[in-house]
Amino acid sequence: MNYVLNDRESSKIIEFIKNFARKNSLWIAAYGTGCGAIEIPPTMTSRYDAERLSIRGAATPRQADVLLITGYLAVKTLKRVIRTYEQMQDPKYVIGFGSCTINGGMYWDSYNTIKQLGLYIPVDVYINGCMPRPEAVIAGFAKLQEMIGKGEANGWKHYKENLEWYRQNQQRLIKNWKMPDFNW
Amino acid sequence: MADLNFENKLIIDIQEHFRENIIAAKVKRQKRVEIRTNRESIESVLLYLKEKQGFIHLAHISCVDWMEENRFELVFILWQPQEKINVLVKIDVNRLNPVAPNIDYIWSQANTYEREIREMFGIEFEGLVGRRELILEDWDDMPPMRRDFDTLQYVMDNYKFRSGREDAQDVRETIAKRTGEEIPEIAKKYSR
Amino acid sequence: MTFWQILGIALLTILIAFITGLFYMGIRRKVIARVQNRYGPPVYQNFLDVMKLWSKDSNIHHGIMQHLAPLWMISMSIATLLFVPIAYKSHFWTNFTFNGDLILLLYLMVFGSLGFALGVGQTGNPNSAIGVSRGLTQLVGYELPWVIALIAVMIQYKTTSLTDLVAFQQQHHTWIAFQQPFAFLAAFLLIPAMFHYSPYDVIVAPAELASGPISEFGGKYLGLMMSSSSIFMFAKLALFVDIFLGGAQNWLWMIIKTLTLYMWPVLWSAISPRYRTEQSIWSVWKWPLILSVLGLIIASV
Repeated sequence: MNYVLNDRESSKIIEFIKNFARKNSLWIAAYGTGCGAIEIPPTMTSRYDAERLSIRGAATPRQADVLLITGYLAVKTLKRVIRTYEQMQDPKYVIGFGSCTINGGMYWDSYNTIKQLGLYIPVDVYINGCMPRPEAVIAGFAKLQEMIGKGEANGWKHYKENLEWYRQNQQRLIKNWKMPDFNW
Repeated sequence: MADLNFENKLIIDIQEHFRENIIAAKVKRQKRVEIRTNRESIESVLLYLKEKQGFIHLAHISCVDWMEENRFELVFILWQPQEKINVLVKIDVNRLNPVAPNIDYIWSQANTYEREIREMFGIEFEGLVGRRELILEDWDDMPPMRRDFDTLQYVMDNYKFRSGREDAQDVRETIAKRTGEEIPEIAKKYSR
Repeated sequence: MTFWQILGIALLTILIAFITGLFYMGIRRKVIARVQNRYGPPVYQNFLDVMKLWSKDSNIHHGIMQHLAPLWMISMSIATLLFVPIAYKSHFWTNFTFNGDLILLLYLMVFGSLGFALGVGQTGNPNSAIGVSRGLTQLVGYELPWVIALIAVMIQYKTTSLTDLVAFQQQHHTWIAFQQPFAFLAAFLLIPAMFHYSPYDVIVAPAELASGPISEFGGKYLGLMMSSSSIFMFAKLALFVDIFLGGAQNWLWMIIKTLTLYMWPVLWSAISPRYRTEQSIWSVWKWPLILSVLGLIIASV
């Protein structure tokens, strides 16, 4: 019994345990942006019961792990979404929900909705469809859980490292930038 | 033929009362009357309809941009609960100098509609109180509901599309190409 | 017993109470899910939640008191637990019980909420402020009949020691619930209010107050709070069992009795909507107060 774990192996095990806990306990920030928010109640209640897959709602962004962007995002809402995202505690994940977050969807020529969510906040998983049914939502969550388990859902790290680039994109749309800094 | 007593009586009554200030008045169909008046007498017409004819509810204020004729058309939609009749009162506003009378002392809910029209069409209402921003935030371009505002150009200037959007076909065309069926002539008109 | 023995036993008590409490909360989630015709999360879900919250990387800073609030809460939970005797006639599992512990516990159980309220004040979140004011109002509501019921028990048996109460019940093979039914009923009706479960959940009210006092606490602090509430929950249940339901011979009996007792607030919360603040006050000031005063009168004549 002379075997002692070296640093890399022990940190690997700790990382594995952490990721196991993170993937099996996803709390969603209760913030619906577009029409897709209507698909969340059937996902959470008795019919599809997302709680059996360890997914449940959290009341405030401070407590939440996952930010669901449910559908189209007006520029005005984008400002609030950025604030909400930055209030969440690391590690945090974003799921883009519906075609609108991927390339504008049916609002592709609307002057006031954004076309690519990935330019403004880092998105880990996209769920396509207009609207995605609860089965598709649960499939998206399963994909996210798989990614967390492998340690691939690193959007929050990417956001910290490329903050300049994200800020540039955000400030191109939000002209009157009256927001606190990232480390608030 | 339905009984149009109240509608006809209303038109005669209002034409007698305001005479040449009523430019046109007609019954569009049952339970719907259209009155076109001018800018000077719009307030008295609305007050008359509210106080004397029982149109106590302002349902909506709508705005139409007639760019070719160089005018905006404001439509005040009123509702009378006893007879269940809608009246559309219309006035024209000059497009180059868009100023309209403010009526939020008659119905206070008009304030919100007027602020929305001010934001979306750029029509100023005389003495309208309220924040300039209602729905849009930090908007510094042309009011977006005007017809000479080029939405597509604005979108192309301000947003980036994910690659793959350019060759996006009309859904009907894509399906037709895949299955090899003909698109009917009437449907082609609506293709993008 | 040496110092290290005492410390070890205390730590073991805390650990067992923590694990049991988390399992109870998991059972609660499962029961509520079954009542709502859902499958429900696994029973061990709360362990994963706590582990995840402890593995969060960042936290926010509002001020010293905000950092102290969860610590205050968990230290008071642990203090409450360690003054409650778990097993009758055991050297180990009576922990720090002494002659006046019932009176001390009355204070300790309130201190956690008060200290937490102080810390919440520094976060500056308006939802938290509303939640705290509602919580303190409700505290005033249920503390009054609860204290009167306990005083009735103290007067009837002329002791302020939990160990004496347990010993009395174990020796006479009876429960105080039968000897002093009015105080028992009053305290029994108060349990949902003391647990802040529905219908008494106007404090956290996730849909309207964004979880109230804890709305600014995330990450490790929320993990501390979940651990604290699981320990505190077990301590309260054990206290109730000790006073009214005859105490326990060993851990197994304690767990059986507390789990059975815990089903009452759980099932009641699964089927009841939320009281408003004044409704929750009046609901504890009506029958529980009348019953506890009756108990006091019977005990003193």
